[in-house]
Amino acid sequence: MDEILDSSNTLECDILIIGGGTAGPMAALKAKKKNPKANVVLLDKANVKRSGAISMGMDGLNNSVIPGYATPEQYTKEITIANDGICDQAAVYRYAEECYGIIQELDSFGIRFQKDENGEYDVKKVHHIGTYVLPMPNGDTVKKALYRQLRKARINIVNRYMATRLLTGEGRVAGAICVNTRTAEFLTVKAKAVIMGLGAAGRLGLPTSGYLYGTYENATNSGEGYAMAYHAGAGLANLECYQINPLIKDYNGPACAYVAGPLGGYTANAKGERFIECDYWSGQMMQEFYDELQGGKGPVYLKLNHLAEETVAEIERVLHIVERPTRGHFHAGRGTDYRKQMIEMHISEIGFCSGHSASGVFVDEHARTTIPGLYAAGDMANVPHNYMLGAFTNGAFAGLDAAEFIEDVDFASFDEGEVIAERDRVLAPTKRDDGIPPNQIEYKTRRLVNDYLQPPKVTAKMELAQQRFEEVREDMEQGMYVRDAHELMRALEASTILDCAEMAAAASMYRTESRWGLYHNRVEYERDDENWFCHTILTKGADGKPTHKKQEVKPYIVEIEDDEKDAYYKQRVTSTVAAE
Amino acid sequence: MNDLFEDFDEISELAEGLNDAAPGGRIMAVIELADSADPAAIPYLAKAIVDADAGVRKQAAIAFTDFDGPETSAALVGALSDTDPSVIEAATVSLTELKDPAAGDSILPHLESEDPVKLAACFLGIKELRRSEALGPAIKALHHQAYEVRIQAVGVIGWLQDETALPALREATKDAEPKVRRTALSALGFSKSDHAEVTLITGLDDPEWIVREAAAETLAKSGGTACLAPLRAALKDDFWQVRLKAVRSLGKLNAIEAAMEIGPMMEIPVPNLRKECAAVLGELAVPETVQFLEKFADDTDPDVRKNVRWALGKLAA
Amino acid sequence: MPLAQTATTVPVVVNDDLCIADKGCTVCVDVCPLDVLRIAVKDDGTKTAYMKYDECWYCMPCEADCPTDAVTVNLPYLLK
Repeated sequence: MDEILDSSNTLECDILIIGGGTAGPMAALKAKKKNPKANVVLLDKANVKRSGAISMGMDGLNNSVIPGYATPEQYTKEITIANDGICDQAAVYRYAEECYGIIQELDSFGIRFQKDENGEYDVKKVHHIGTYVLPMPNGDTVKKALYRQLRKARINIVNRYMATRLLTGEGRVAGAICVNTRTAEFLTVKAKAVIMGLGAAGRLGLPTSGYLYGTYENATNSGEGYAMAYHAGAGLANLECYQINPLIKDYNGPACAYVAGPLGGYTANAKGERFIECDYWSGQMMQEFYDELQGGKGPVYLKLNHLAEETVAEIERVLHIVERPTRGHFHAGRGTDYRKQMIEMHISEIGFCSGHSASGVFVDEHARTTIPGLYAAGDMANVPHNYMLGAFTNGAFAGLDAAEFIEDVDFASFDEGEVIAERDRVLAPTKRDDGIPPNQIEYKTRRLVNDYLQPPKVTAKMELAQQRFEEVREDMEQGMYVRDAHELMRALEASTILDCAEMAAAASMYRTESRWGLYHNRVEYERDDENWFCHTILTKGADGKPTHKKQEVKPYIVEIEDDEKDAYYKQRVTSTVAAE
Repeated sequence: MNDLFEDFDEISELAEGLNDAAPGGRIMAVIELADSADPAAIPYLAKAIVDADAGVRKQAAIAFTDFDGPETSAALVGALSDTDPSVIEAATVSLTELKDPAAGDSILPHLESEDPVKLAACFLGIKELRRSEALGPAIKALHHQAYEVRIQAVGVIGWLQDETALPALREATKDAEPKVRRTALSALGFSKSDHAEVTLITGLDDPEWIVREAAAETLAKSGGTACLAPLRAALKDDFWQVRLKAVRSLGKLNAIEAAMEIGPMMEIPVPNLRKECAAVLGELAVPETVQFLEKFADDTDPDVRKNVRWALGKLAA
Repeated sequence: MPLAQTATTVPVVVNDDLCIADKGCTVCVDVCPLDVLRIAVKDDGTKTAYMKYDECWYCMPCEADCPTDAVTVNLPYLLK
């Protein structure tokens, strides 16, 4: 295994789905169900059984809109406020209306949601206004249940192939070029529609531990979706709205306020006092977190030690079994016990991920990107605050729409020269006798991301970053060296990470205002609704560099009253650095 | 070209691995049969679950999570009598994954089993299948000597939401084991009857706080007017967790007469409780409580402060 | 410009006595999202799984899905 083979195959299908994590399997199931004759192929660079962000499971739904607990109007309003108003509500509203049906469908797959002693959904209150949290007591079986459905539907699954570039022609998508992660064999897939569900750009910033794979996101999600969409000419929205999350320091896993919150746990400063003002998991909340860390009131902690033994045991049961089960190992190794000590928290490295923010490949309420026939869903698409249920629901929308799209089209023709050029690009590191290994290219890129792109954002630093990225790109294109097919996968990921880093810098430079709290805190600029109450759309320019435009926020479906827009600003005792 | 795709092999071919002399080979065959998700694999897995090797049996018990129906449940119920605890544990988990009510057919005959571990697992498995035939055996099992069995029996009754089972559930709220009492009180939530309310009121005096907490919480669903005075008494419970649920339920039941008792609770130095009190004072909107809220409009705890200001807004409206 | 050989301690540990790779088992290799595990041939000719690439997200499918409980996922030293 891992030996580089010189071979290439082609494959034709109606719908190619890239990414077998969360959105992808749901897209495949929906497309196949709607059009049983369609040839649907689900491709993943890992094995669909355990691929993607929820590889090991998920401890609950953070954004379930269940009749009787929350309404689509209420949810849409909260998400709009949490994203400082920059939100096309149609996609959020459609999600909110249809996600309950998806919950019931997942339930029928054997994915359990917490129910009370009468068998009714046991929804927990976290947000100030609505109630959206639904715990998943057997959330460790999510992937297993999905895989079972894929097998039952006899979906064609291709494992261990990594898509590297999309093919386009006739003004629409034509397929994708892929490479085997264990043999470097090429696969050109011709498809009438392509659905991307490739997850977050999780390996963009470097975790404070310095371990390349010790990321907040599943480290396998290195951002191929963003890079492929970019190179294919699709629009990417609001990439300057980074993802930054609160997490357990060093372990770099989620602190799970959503699990502990309803049971009385909270984020506290060194004095053990609650300090987060914001009701929503948002850039504003992260700014408050950052201010506390920087303002001499840190370290910041997850506080559970005021809770009763019975409650702590319940929190532990959920946190240590589902989603990131090594968390228990971590605390045991450190000798920390939720009952006795508060647990030190920190803020994550930066990334792109609409699961928790609002950036990503631009899509509408049908999960359509700006390229006909090309869809995106889940963490990589820009529907804000998606979380896992958003990936499932928007993945379903993509599958349904793609099944219709293919009815009326044949394969788009494309330039065969693109395949040859891509092959040359991909294999270049295998043709050298020595050079720089991909891990060093990656480390340097990500270290520069931390040095120069991490908020608070400073123009001069971002300009330096752009300069340094170009130097790294030169090194990568002229000198990267791999010894086997596995290293080649890492080399391709390093290239993706560099693309994402350049996009992050360019997008952040373009929006000359501060917005979304810490996510886009540009120290030289204030929030500027007059000029910047809009999306920014990044595309690949004719010169091969990012180019930008403003795009109007579509008229709201659910009106936000003026006094609601800044609801929590008014509730402060003192303003934060960002608000000053 | 099809080499690219995951295989959909013939089940009989996959099953040949079950004849491997080494247990490792048989385990691999079980995994492949499970991955097929093809019901044709069930008979083969039913053989594997009685294999000579415990590792193979455990893997087969896990594999059955991928299947459903009466043959699956029959194999799993059989595995509950295994000599190896890891097989029993895996079979118990797999039983909870059943969805098809027909799977209950193979569990129902075992609801009077002598073996408490098996009996508890069978009740747990049939709970979500909501088979009405399980009600009788579940009521009977409320007198079982093992509380693990009693707690699962209460679960079955609660999910069936059958008013005729109320006397049995009420009986279970007097159980010797607190966990059974707590589950039984929570299970009363489906009923709006006076009997349920009276039982929940009694639960507010339970010696264990987790039981009192469940009673206070469930009264929001099952309570009428009779529970208001006892819930107000629960505002003085030794445990803040119980007080919190009592406050919340009084808010949901719109008990404006409790407002002047909840007001002074804003002084209690437990942020979680104060936060809930403020929210409920806003819901009840009794003008005289403004004095208690105004004092905390600039509380150092952000969540308390937010709820206080929200409540003051409600009161002003 | 030759590449250096820098040692690292790897987080995923396999108990060779329990591993049934010799029977054709590749469960842990298959389920790793980062594809860092491989099967090695031991001195006596039998096979066992091992961690070939130090690129671990300590996510645990390898440990959870191993049919013989042969795999243990430790925290990478840099962050433990």
